[in-house]
Amino acid sequence: MLMNERRCVITGLGLVCAIGNDTEESFKSALNGISGIKDVKSFDTSPCYSHKGAEVELTNEQLADGKYDRTTALGIKAAGEAIKDSGIDMDSEDASKIGVILGSCIAGAACVEKYYNQKCKGEKGDLNDLKSMPATVIAGNVADYYNCGGITANIVNACAAGTLSVALAIDLIRGGKGEIFLAGGCDSFSSLAFSGFHALRALDASECSPFNHSEGITLGEGAGVLVVESYEHAIKRGARIYCDVLGSGVSSDAYHITAPRPDGEGQMSVIERAIKNSGLDYSDIDYVNAHGTGTAKNDESEFLSLKTSFAGNDHVSVSSTKSMTGHCLGAAGAIEAVLTVKALTEGKLPPTSGYSEEDLKVLAEKSGNIDFIANKPRERDIKYAMSNSFAFGGNNASIVFAKDPNKLNLLCPKQDLYVTGIGIVNGEFDESTNTYTAKLDADIFKAYGVKSAFLRKLDRLSQLQLLSGVKALEDAGITVTPENEGIIGICIGTNDGPMTEIANFQKGIIKDGIEKGSAFAFPNTVYNAAGGYLSIFTGIKGYNVTIANGFQSGLQSVCAAAGAIMFGYESIMLATGTDECTEIDEEIYADLGYTGNGSFKLGEGSVTCVIEKASCAVERGAKRYAKIGGFSSARDTSGDRNNNTRLSEAALTKVIENVLEEAQLKTEDISCIYGFGNGIEEIDSFEMEVYKKIFGEGIEVKLVKKDFGEARAASSSLQFAMLAKDIYEGRFENGIAVSFGTSALYSALLLTKA
Amino acid sequence: MNNEIAEQIKGMLVERLRIPADELEYDSELFGEDIGLDSIDSIEIIVGIENLFGVDISGAGATKEDFRSIETLTAFVEAHKED
Repeated sequence: MLMNERRCVITGLGLVCAIGNDTEESFKSALNGISGIKDVKSFDTSPCYSHKGAEVELTNEQLADGKYDRTTALGIKAAGEAIKDSGIDMDSEDASKIGVILGSCIAGAACVEKYYNQKCKGEKGDLNDLKSMPATVIAGNVADYYNCGGITANIVNACAAGTLSVALAIDLIRGGKGEIFLAGGCDSFSSLAFSGFHALRALDASECSPFNHSEGITLGEGAGVLVVESYEHAIKRGARIYCDVLGSGVSSDAYHITAPRPDGEGQMSVIERAIKNSGLDYSDIDYVNAHGTGTAKNDESEFLSLKTSFAGNDHVSVSSTKSMTGHCLGAAGAIEAVLTVKALTEGKLPPTSGYSEEDLKVLAEKSGNIDFIANKPRERDIKYAMSNSFAFGGNNASIVFAKDPNKLNLLCPKQDLYVTGIGIVNGEFDESTNTYTAKLDADIFKAYGVKSAFLRKLDRLSQLQLLSGVKALEDAGITVTPENEGIIGICIGTNDGPMTEIANFQKGIIKDGIEKGSAFAFPNTVYNAAGGYLSIFTGIKGYNVTIANGFQSGLQSVCAAAGAIMFGYESIMLATGTDECTEIDEEIYADLGYTGNGSFKLGEGSVTCVIEKASCAVERGAKRYAKIGGFSSARDTSGDRNNNTRLSEAALTKVIENVLEEAQLKTEDISCIYGFGNGIEEIDSFEMEVYKKIFGEGIEVKLVKKDFGEARAASSSLQFAMLAKDIYEGRFENGIAVSFGTSALYSALLLTKA
Repeated sequence: MNNEIAEQIKGMLVERLRIPADELEYDSELFGEDIGLDSIDSIEIIVGIENLFGVDISGAGATKEDFRSIETLTAFVEAHKED
């Protein structure tokens, strides 16, 4: 069977944003052009030139039970509505089949502000705030809140994150890795984002007006969650089906860290990819919920890309609902996906609000064949609707919803995937700090042609990532050219992302004022900056996703990369694991009590592995380190849900059993495990006991963290890379790399001789 | 040229824009081939100079030429700085 024959449908919706506390209220407001943009209440904006925002009126206590960061609380609220709307009985349903994939841009920014406010006053920061800061905890917290036991992931591709989450959910269902996903995004209003966009002069002084005055964005907050479900499962449980979600597209601009390409090439590419992936033609699309932020640069390039892409389509309607919801960053794509599904199924298309009579005349003159809906809703019976998101880092994502499943595209048949290149940047032990840190001299970058004018823009995380990325391409013998730039993609795994940049930016505005945020530093506070710079430097224009999901993210990135190839998005993927070790990281891990006596030594690094489909590797005569035999992720569903790094024999055993089954191997075929032991006695002994139970006493277990410290996602990626090298050098034929992380998610990858 | 102001501007550029100090001369072309600054960097320079000298260089009508080098920025600050 072809892998993506499985229909995916939407069976539940949840939404909370400035124009409504649920889906119905928000959709009604959107249709009526009611804007949620008001004066900002969350913090004092008096020193700024803009005071507008689209905030949710509910308090954290009203959203969830008050113990979560606001971003997570928004996610919990929308997820709860989506579950209820879907009619899933969480008590009788198999929890292991329900996963949670949430996008976020700024993650626990409210807790970042609170924590560093306390620290800057010389007080001890609140541990709960510290734990809630990173994006890595969001999906796991939402999953635990509703007892979902399937795969979790946090997609952190800035303003495209919500759309990418839905895209990933489709791929996981089609790949047989789950039946139901709560997919979407959430982001709270934050001084960090406000100050950052203010510094970039990207905020509109009044309400934003996309495709109209184009003077800037208005920030918002909220969450959107869609229940994405396999058609078979939905039918089996008698679910109400809103529509199909046919397919998606993801692309990279490879141009600039904040600005879109003026020629709209990356945007047109993602529209084309989504249409092809959905088995449609340009002429099929009836409605596009545009990215439509209201900045001059976005509006100009998006206007151009829409008019060019849909030049032969005489019936496409377009609107930007950000004119009412504000720009909700990582939640934006998810909120717009929910509104798009409602528009499609009810035949009522929301407008872009805020046009004067004079504006309408200008719009009519410039819109050509495209029906830009302004101020009033359009009642139209439509079949196919698209929702687009374009983000910092040059990441573009698009998804297509349909009333009609008949045109479902059948893409690439399953084929072998090889590891064809490895790039490693490891830390070296530094006695003075008791950490493992990497040497990042300018000369190393110069050798790879990285000019200092480019390098200076990169934060440490991005530098680590760039170096391992170019090393891996070199090792694989790949030169990015206009011929292959569109068939190569990137999947970054990280635990902490750019926490140093986030903390320093926040500390800067605490010290200097919200109006004095650094325009230079702000772009590096987004988690996908590292992937963006890698794409910009190398010219890679394909798939681009960043996953922040605990220490195991370096393995999950390989799983996602494998999926991107299996579903025909790309032929070659760079799958990475990257985490940095700075003074900020050292302080965080010390405050969390993880470093010091009896625990682990913090490390840093970046490992990039080139994953390539067999036909491509064979055609170019690539070196093949190893073949991917199977990959699996599973969560603990029975332990203490207040402990999101809980150990789970059941989950660890399950992922190992799953990869063995997928590779059609037995336990005795496995010669070596690359494990996750990091020096914490409880973890190390737990891990060894489980392996002994499964494989017997004689199993060889290699622990990379002994030599390079706990480099988090870089460590799990290193485990995978070292395993591939061992197999290539003939030490054994089959081995497994295993890791686990926040949200109690365990991942295993089985490699076998190529 | 006021060397004290020039040195302060240089320090600001090194700190805020992470330009390697040894690559930055007073006459280096900031937005040209030498250093390769872009529009985001220019916003950062405006804020940096306002913080250092209290001079609102965009409000005071600075032109592209004024942003050319540390020398030209120094001259602009000297001309607009209120002692």
